[in-house]
Amino acid sequence: MTSLVTARGVSKRYGKVCAVDNVSFDIEKGRIMGLIGPNGAGKTTLLKALLGLTDCEGDLSVLGLDPFRQRKELMQNICFIADVAVLPRWIRVSQLLDFVESTHPNFSREKAEILLGDTKVNARRDSRVRELSKGMVTQLHLAIIAAIDARLLVLDEPTLGLDIIFRKEFYANLLSDYFDQERTILVTTHQVEEIENILTDIMFINEGRIILDASMDSLSADYVELLTSGDRADEARRIGPIAERDIFGKKVMLFENPDRERLGALGELHTPSVADLFVAKVKGAAA
Amino acid sequence: MIGHQLALVKREIWEHRSIYVTPIAIAVIVSLISLAGMVTVSAFDKEVHMALFSASNIAGDTERQAALTVFFLGTSWVFLLALVILTTFYALDCLYAERKDKSILFWRSLPVTDAETVVSKLLTAVIVLPLVTVAAIVVTHLVNLLITTAWVMLKGGNAAHLIWSSVPLFDNWAAALIVTIASAVWMSPLIGWFLFVSAFTKRAPLLMAFMPLIIIPIMEWIFFRSKIFASAVFSRGEMIPLFREMDIGHFFDEERMVVNEEIVSLLSHIDIGRFLFSPSVWAGIVVCGLFTTAAIYVRRYRDES
Repeated sequence: MTSLVTARGVSKRYGKVCAVDNVSFDIEKGRIMGLIGPNGAGKTTLLKALLGLTDCEGDLSVLGLDPFRQRKELMQNICFIADVAVLPRWIRVSQLLDFVESTHPNFSREKAEILLGDTKVNARRDSRVRELSKGMVTQLHLAIIAAIDARLLVLDEPTLGLDIIFRKEFYANLLSDYFDQERTILVTTHQVEEIENILTDIMFINEGRIILDASMDSLSADYVELLTSGDRADEARRIGPIAERDIFGKKVMLFENPDRERLGALGELHTPSVADLFVAKVKGAAA
Repeated sequence: MIGHQLALVKREIWEHRSIYVTPIAIAVIVSLISLAGMVTVSAFDKEVHMALFSASNIAGDTERQAALTVFFLGTSWVFLLALVILTTFYALDCLYAERKDKSILFWRSLPVTDAETVVSKLLTAVIVLPLVTVAAIVVTHLVNLLITTAWVMLKGGNAAHLIWSSVPLFDNWAAALIVTIASAVWMSPLIGWFLFVSAFTKRAPLLMAFMPLIIIPIMEWIFFRSKIFASAVFSRGEMIPLFREMDIGHFFDEERMVVNEEIVSLLSHIDIGRFLFSPSVWAGIVVCGLFTTAAIYVRRYRDES
């Protein structure tokens, strides 16, 4: 496998605040990586560094390029949706398509037309973006992005402010229209539960540091949740869970690198949800 | 590169519709005013016939040319005034609005460099706005000549002779083109400054652009008792080195009792060589280049968080 993104000791400081603190990771081709972190964890700063929107310390290579110094070359092979709000509000749908067509060498007008043909935006070619609903703007943006033959797609909170139906539709469209083995997606979101089933890899970031970097397949092997109660809970606690919470009078404990046979004897075993794992990791890192 | 520039400049015109709406509005208003003027004058039937008679028989070709040129100048200055205002507001808005509505994040997600973008905005201000203005002047001129033709014919005058054989179309239009573009180039250091403020300021670009222009001369006077800055900036508006030295006495040939022919031609007053070889023109272009470069750097390096 080839690494699309390589980061070694990347840091970004704003004055005395260290937004990204000496992080190292790789993102490989054909993966869908979720970057999860609480507000202010450094997600957006890290994305900006990857997109060449901000300079940083350390070695960062995206598609073999230095993102800050070779931004134009990089943008031919990268797409990003920062937030649904960034499409210029004054522009008409047809003008937007014309503009992207004449500035982006890898944009396929036909593909964008086909993708838009299935949406409500299709009948609104002469409308300005400000006249479209938030859902339509997202469909428009995604159609443009999907029509660009880019190797890396970066999504920063792409569904912020959308209702649940559009959020589901967005990710379904993303997979059907955009994703294939040649393409790679990096996505950040608060709503982990909505994307955990499409991710292949996951990275947790907190206070500028990466606290977990793993493939989704390995998560179910490396972490297990035990549902138990009473004496057996005390015994399980001695094994050393990384997190513990109460649910309906029972104890739920999360174990890293578990001895499944031993734990199995103490209660029910489940694969933990990404959200629970995230909470456990963030709390563990804070403790 | 050139394809990008065309697309970028087109985008500027889409976004800032006042670039073409304002000249069109002025063209309509000017035409309506001259139409109204003719209708009003028509009430004085006797005087109109006298005027038409003397224009045809007493005045020579040069006088008719002079009259038509004055008419052209009378309708054109409004456009130039509007151009000054339009350029100021455009240059101050073009790099500020994209940050305010966050669309800069979308523009920067496309493979277009910051330099290309800022240069397209400079070209729009220095070349496209003047060209649109000249086009509006030419169209207004033609429309007004047609209205006048209709009016002269209605009053029994010979329009072909009075107007179309005398009107110096090429001279008037070429002069308008040269003066408009040269003025934009001449004022380009100010346009560059506006672009820089537009890229730089967090709020109130108009205020931020003009405050230093007022405060710096005052400070300079208080501390150094000199007026170098003020004379460099404010007298720039009056002393464009584009025209020949004007000899007012030459305007009217007293012996022949006629207006001098070469004085009637607007082009004959223009000295392009003087403009191109003027050090202050080139100094202005350099200052404009410096401010534009600064605007590119601000757009490139500022972290919009």
